[in-house]
Amino acid sequence: MNRRSFIKTSIKTSVSAASLVFANELFGEAANDDTKPTADLEKLGEVAISEAKKQGASYADLRIGRYRNQFSGYRLSPQRGSNITDEVPFVTDQNSFGFGVRVIVNGQWGFAASPLVTSAEIARITREAITVAKANAAAQAKPVQLAPVKAFRDRWVSKFDKDPFAISMNEKLELIHSATMSVKKDPNVFSAFGALGFQSEDKYFASSEGSSIQQYVVRVYPILNAVAVDFKNGISRSRSYSVEPQTAGWEAIAKANLLENAPRIRAEVLEHLAAPPVKPGKKDLVLLPSHLWLTIHESIGHSTELDRALGYEANYAGTSFLTTEKMGKFSFGSELINVFGDRVIGKGLSTVKYDDDGVLTTKFPIIEKGIFKHYQTIRDQAHLIGESESRGCCYADSWSSVPFQRMPNVWLAPGPETVTPDDLISGVEDGILIEGDGSFSIDQQRYNFQFGGDAFWEIKGGKKRGMISRVAYQARTPDFWHACDGISGPSYWQQFGAPSDGKGEPAQINAVSHGCSPSRFRQINVLLTD
Amino acid sequence: MLSQQDVKTIIDQVISYSKLPECEVNVQWTEDDFIRFANNGITTSGYRVTQQISISSTTADKRSGNAAVSELTAEALQNGVRQAEELAQISRPNPEDMPPLPPQQYPRLSNFDSYTASARGDVMVPQVKAVLAGAIKNNLVTAGYIQRSANAVGIGNKSGLFGYHTYTDSSLTHTMRNPEGTSSGWATQSSVSLKDLDGESQVRVSIDKCLRGANRKKLDPGKYTVIMEPAAVADLIGWLGFAFGARDAEQGQSFLSKPGEGKNGGGTYLGEKLFPEIITLRSDPFHPKLASTPWGPSLLPNEKINWIEKGVVRNLYYDRFWAAKAGKKPTPFPVNLVLEGQDNSLEDLIKSVDRGLLVTRLWYIRVVQPKTFQLTGLTRDGVFLIERGKVTDAVNNFRWNQSPAEVLQRTTKLTQPIRVTNDETGSNMAPALITTDFNLASVSDAV
Repeated sequence: MNRRSFIKTSIKTSVSAASLVFANELFGEAANDDTKPTADLEKLGEVAISEAKKQGASYADLRIGRYRNQFSGYRLSPQRGSNITDEVPFVTDQNSFGFGVRVIVNGQWGFAASPLVTSAEIARITREAITVAKANAAAQAKPVQLAPVKAFRDRWVSKFDKDPFAISMNEKLELIHSATMSVKKDPNVFSAFGALGFQSEDKYFASSEGSSIQQYVVRVYPILNAVAVDFKNGISRSRSYSVEPQTAGWEAIAKANLLENAPRIRAEVLEHLAAPPVKPGKKDLVLLPSHLWLTIHESIGHSTELDRALGYEANYAGTSFLTTEKMGKFSFGSELINVFGDRVIGKGLSTVKYDDDGVLTTKFPIIEKGIFKHYQTIRDQAHLIGESESRGCCYADSWSSVPFQRMPNVWLAPGPETVTPDDLISGVEDGILIEGDGSFSIDQQRYNFQFGGDAFWEIKGGKKRGMISRVAYQARTPDFWHACDGISGPSYWQQFGAPSDGKGEPAQINAVSHGCSPSRFRQINVLLTD
Repeated sequence: MLSQQDVKTIIDQVISYSKLPECEVNVQWTEDDFIRFANNGITTSGYRVTQQISISSTTADKRSGNAAVSELTAEALQNGVRQAEELAQISRPNPEDMPPLPPQQYPRLSNFDSYTASARGDVMVPQVKAVLAGAIKNNLVTAGYIQRSANAVGIGNKSGLFGYHTYTDSSLTHTMRNPEGTSSGWATQSSVSLKDLDGESQVRVSIDKCLRGANRKKLDPGKYTVIMEPAAVADLIGWLGFAFGARDAEQGQSFLSKPGEGKNGGGTYLGEKLFPEIITLRSDPFHPKLASTPWGPSLLPNEKINWIEKGVVRNLYYDRFWAAKAGKKPTPFPVNLVLEGQDNSLEDLIKSVDRGLLVTRLWYIRVVQPKTFQLTGLTRDGVFLIERGKVTDAVNNFRWNQSPAEVLQRTTKLTQPIRVTNDETGSNMAPALITTDFNLASVSDAV
């Protein structure tokens, strides 16, 4: 019996245990040109849907997921009591494969998941999900109501030129070794760290509303940073190369020019170590995309999530100051502020064709000319604010996680082409230019935030001066966005992001990008940190 | 649940596929059941089984590769071993690699409760209903989460090391808000046994905080004497544990590093009295209320250890490699923390404060400066003014900037510790405490 007929027989007879090889067969080749999911996946989908219907579910969906996380790199740090450098390599490749079933019974959600991908187990776990829903229906506030969705039968693969998993580990280690060695070349650099992270999601979705969708997403995360220590004065400072993490392939690693940037990181970590402390007070800030993405994420991305606004996250991630009566009229920021939620944008970490509700993803305005327009929504929320369709923001981070509303790529539109970052700087008498992310913290309604950064340059009399240190700024979200009086043009627009934004109970992560151009904010409260 | 024999079979099977000199296997199996609720009704919930087999292979010249799989079939395990070994052969020698551990005598821990391990919705829903009923009766709105897990963990290597342990854990936590959104209260319970959770008693705490917080007054930022409730203290000591690494301390990158000339600066504060006499912070994996395992990340037997003893920095965290270089005994990772308390009640603490604040819990804590270990964060779900030994008004929330070491240095009085589980710092035993000059840097309008 060849493998394919073995698999087919296994599914039919429901006796086989699953295996990783099985997963490979099940999902097929990533670069496959097929326009529909594999037949094996569709058969398993049918098992869950028919079992759920038999048990009285009014809705059911199955997600079979295979996730891969490969992380490799080097830490270069001195031996104990010596200047000799230890070069410590690491290589990890993690795989996870399983399925989750979601059902609605008596108007109540139920969910169950298992790592054993067989038709018998899918049927059993579907019954478990039904049991969960029935038990909880006793304490429901309102029956679940789903916004309508079209049925799709499709297969989609995220855009990449070169599969990063097909690149040899040798090549990856060579690249990171060279880059970290270059950073550590100056003996005054205390340590260097570099890593390449690659992530893939192979996902199949089938629903009782007729959808059958197979998707494959590949993301890349390059990292390169340095630490310098002044033992005499008890000071330690760091500097990172801000590289855009993105939904792409190995080609993004080549474009990152790690080797070319390593000498700059080496020089700048030493400059940071010697940099004088900031003089605190109200200052103008010019924030580069490698920094501003995180401020957008925390203050706009999270405040415009509908589940927060409605209290569904009140116990953990928090609520939002943007309560529903503010939709369409609240002045969030200056007229320059135009922000979109977008799961179709190229290279976005949250970009995908269909969300985990089976909704075709889209781009939608969140803030228009400073006015808050729309929330991020999913199918079971849309009706709660009088909307008739989901905005496609449903996501679960694993086959074993319950899908719920997660952030799309949320980006700030660029200013006019004629505005350059130098124009922004030239209009600042006393300010700071900030690159890269540092510490970040925001309250549970997304009002009060405090951000550090990776590198800070003083701006005096309209000119960028030397590096300064120990900078953090504090602001209140609407005050901060109203203080924005300049955004550079589209040529300077870049998309940074995070691989693991946390939310939900049990906690889940989400990868998300935030694009923007360098922007200027007037009279922000700057602190001197310890 | 994977039995000891199941785990032994999996580990033996993995090792039998291994061709390289070293192979270490880590098995994790969890079955959990959870219910979320919000807006006074159950929202999402689930039941699931998850498992992971992590395989680490090492060549004779110390090149290592790591792989993880989530399936238990022979084919999947064989694939995992092959992947780890291929990665090892491509990798470079690791100068910090340590030889595999020989068989160890692991301590027996008692933190498995069979009632909890088999509990499903029928057991948990009544607890949720008690919280919902409290909210509805008081015209308030609640959101929360109850969960229980049964866990089997196992480790083994080619040198004959083997360990197996099962433990359970559970928690109930919820937030109580008024419909106007002008007040918020919160309460939490966590335990090895679901029987220790009690929705009825828990909801009284959150309702009380929420009702008292409805007419909160505006208070300016500044340095205040603060009574932190156990949830806030648990977060701070959890973060402080992360800063007890010997490598960072010896290499000038920690608040425990002394400035000075030379390759390692001025050494560390190990053995010095940095805190008041009343501060003793230890790891205690044997504490029956904590969801600990018999081994830590190094796979050495877990042990009880004092990090701070009567104010003196008594130990730093030495992993096996750094301990060997320093000529020290390796120490367990600073988790399962217990901050020793005193025989005071929270009321006693409140009575002893002339003017200060009572803080329910902290939120979004991040490191501002790794070297000084200055943290930032916010207060959440109830800040109350204390005047002449009595709680008077509810006040607004604040952002704070402060090192947890400074909090303990300025601690004047404590209660006895209770178990608290926090999202980012795990489960610890923390008392309430009074600390002075706590830096509340700005007002947060959040409720």
